[in-house]
Amino acid sequence: MKINNLSFKYEKNGDQILNNFQLEVNKQETICFVGPSGSGKSTVLRLIAGLEVPLSGEIFIAGRTVVNDQVFIPPEKRKVGMVFQDYALFPHLNVAENISFGLGKISKIDKSRKVNEMLDLINLNGFANRYPHQLSGGQQQRIALARTLAPNPRLLLLDEPFSNLDESLRDEIRKELKNIIKQIGITTILVSHDQADADFMADRKIFIYS
Amino acid sequence: MQLSDKLKKQSIGWLLISSLIIILLLIPNINILLNLFTDTSENWQHIKKYLLMDYIKNSLILIISTGLLTALIGTLLAWLIAAYEFPGRAFLSWALLLPLAIPPYIGAYTYAGLFSYTGPFQVLLRKRFGLVVNQQYFDFMTMRGAIFIYTIFLFPYVYLLAKSFLAKQSASLVEISCLLGKSATSIFFKVILPVSRGIIVAGASLVMLEVLNDYGVVKYFGIPTFSTAIFKTWFGMGDLTSAVRLAAIAMGVIFILLYLEKLLRGGRQYSYSTSQIRPLKRKKLTGGSKYFATMFSFSIFGLGFIIPVGQLLYWSYLSDGSKWGNLLEYSTGSILTGLLAATLVIIAAIIVANTVRINSGILSNLFARITMLGYSIPGAVIAVGILVFLLQVDQFISWLMQPFAIEINMFLTTSLVMLFFAYLIRFLGIGFNAVNSGYQKIGTKFFEASRTLGKSVTATFFKVDLPMIKPAVLSGFLLVFIEVMKELPLTLILRPFNFNTLATRAFEYAADEMIYRAADLSLILIFCCTIAILLVNQLRKGREDASEN
Ligand SMILES: Nc1ncnc2c1ncn2[C@@H]1O[C@H](COP(=O)(O)OP(=O)(O)OP(=O)(O)O)[C@@H](O)[C@H]1O
Ligand SMILES: [Mg+2]
Repeated sequence: MKINNLSFKYEKNGDQILNNFQLEVNKQETICFVGPSGSGKSTVLRLIAGLEVPLSGEIFIAGRTVVNDQVFIPPEKRKVGMVFQDYALFPHLNVAENISFGLGKISKIDKSRKVNEMLDLINLNGFANRYPHQLSGGQQQRIALARTLAPNPRLLLLDEPFSNLDESLRDEIRKELKNIIKQIGITTILVSHDQADADFMADRKIFIYS
Repeated sequence: MQLSDKLKKQSIGWLLISSLIIILLLIPNINILLNLFTDTSENWQHIKKYLLMDYIKNSLILIISTGLLTALIGTLLAWLIAAYEFPGRAFLSWALLLPLAIPPYIGAYTYAGLFSYTGPFQVLLRKRFGLVVNQQYFDFMTMRGAIFIYTIFLFPYVYLLAKSFLAKQSASLVEISCLLGKSATSIFFKVILPVSRGIIVAGASLVMLEVLNDYGVVKYFGIPTFSTAIFKTWFGMGDLTSAVRLAAIAMGVIFILLYLEKLLRGGRQYSYSTSQIRPLKRKKLTGGSKYFATMFSFSIFGLGFIIPVGQLLYWSYLSDGSKWGNLLEYSTGSILTGLLAATLVIIAAIIVANTVRINSGILSNLFARITMLGYSIPGAVIAVGILVFLLQVDQFISWLMQPFAIEINMFLTTSLVMLFFAYLIRFLGIGFNAVNSGYQKIGTKFFEASRTLGKSVTATFFKVDLPMIKPAVLSGFLLVFIEVMKELPLTLILRPFNFNTLATRAFEYAADEMIYRAADLSLILIFCCTIAILLVNQLRKGREDASEN
């Protein structure tokens, strides 16, 4: 994953959030963005995912240009997985349907196999038929992770994965998340406010200043 | 960010269809404005010299008095229901919406009949008490009568908006004022009225637009306003240019009105930060004030629903039965029209709302505003615009077909297409607002999550957005259905020959003094609208409960 000279602002005459931002992430590496609130950490993730369009600059993912002056690959074609800060689990779908949401057109059997595999991975077997509102915060987060990983993305983005969890859960979830990431060997970018989180999770920390 | 980049990010299909809908919506209105620059007829000079001032004056008196009265009554009731506990409150809370089920023109002929010389009220006075009253005081068919009718049947617009605003937003303000030792009255005037000014103005301007749109009441009472004048110049005198010119002036009045509304609202947002929302705790009323609250609310409900419905039932009983065949024909026709039009409108509304949501920016803002245009402009005015436009299209079609020796004359202008087109223009705003509020409630995160999971804008719409905004879509559908069922001026002008709805037939019977006949039709109409209103209310409650969890 590589970012070249990325510049961005939200509104036509708003403040420039990013100015010639550079970044390179190696395969299977986990990096963490740290920096003050409002510095643009989430914005970088949104640009990588294709949810925003940069003013200028280029982004490459797995050797493919996903955005530059001529090209714009829409988010659904980027194979970038993103776990949202408040998880954004679809409330009208149960856990199994949430996890299989991004799987595309495959047979029912393959689908349920994949769902079970993911539930195994996150240690939530037996929750397939629950609805998101019947889950605790920690469980919701793990389902969101499973949903994101199910379609085998090439890059995993996590925006403040621990901010909605209370202290007691944090340690455990942190370990589990790190395990899962290493187990699959996926390239990961995460954002965190917390230095301890960053130190624990990341191979490398990137500071972003406003 | 260049436009082409923006488009790459979004789905261009949605934008194209929405633009098409918006353009269709604008054309008839632009048509009217363009006609301002054409030559006028002699007739116009006459209208301008002798009648125009009257139209403007009457319209203004009606909208301003009704606007003020509904604002007052609506807010007062909303405050009572939202802030106090008293006998009958739970029932009144939804019952006070029901006057909306009665189209004002039906209310008008019901009340006029009730108080006429041969009506039940005066008969009772004469027979029982030997009283013969001065007819002047009991003549309902006056300006005062019209204001009464509009107020009593339209105040729920203000009531509904103000009630949900107060119930959700005012808790902390009221608590603080109580702590500061303010009395209930001073809280109402010093705190409640000022903070809810924006929402009251919004409700009252809906009422005012409805009044300006109305044709039935003023026609029945013989009060010349823009609506009746457009009808008269067009059908009575066959003078389309003057009708168009009147329509254009009415539009001018509306733009001034909307501008004033904006000023009055004072750029105030409806809602405070969402994190602080806490429902208002209701206070138990005791002693005299308890009975006053109950009596006051019940008498408004009585005037706005029980009395007119009772009178209609009585007439229906006296009428020894209409022909069932006719009733069935008009009812199914009306209901089908309502359902079909509501479907059409809500589909268009969903398309535009979805586009507006995914393309934030100037264009989207503009689209959102334009959808409300149709609702702001009186039916009679829209009708003129549409007819002029479709006549041109029809001429174009015949001209196109000429070389093939196919004769298609007046294809559009004699078919139901015209009427449905008109409904779309007039009610798109209602559908749009409902759908849009659904979208605002769910935000963009589910949309974005779905996109990163590999679903396109359209796939996301069907798999995520639509299921999640279903309640909002359903309420929008029902609201449009109610409006179409009640609609009169557009339908009267644009319907094909021999096409009738409950509304048009009831109005015609009433205008021909065949009130007994009108009663049955009116009751069916009111019944359908009541059901729809109750369903909408149920949906609202469901959504509010859901969002509190
Ligand atoms: N949709 C938006 N429209 C306009 N400005 C925005 C939008 N989203 C974010 N911003 C602005 O962009 C800047 C960067 O925001 P961003 O969310 O990327 O910061 P962040 O580093 O993630 O902050 P935090 O740590 O608080 O999450 C902020 O100043 C913010 O106000
Ligand atoms: Mg952030």
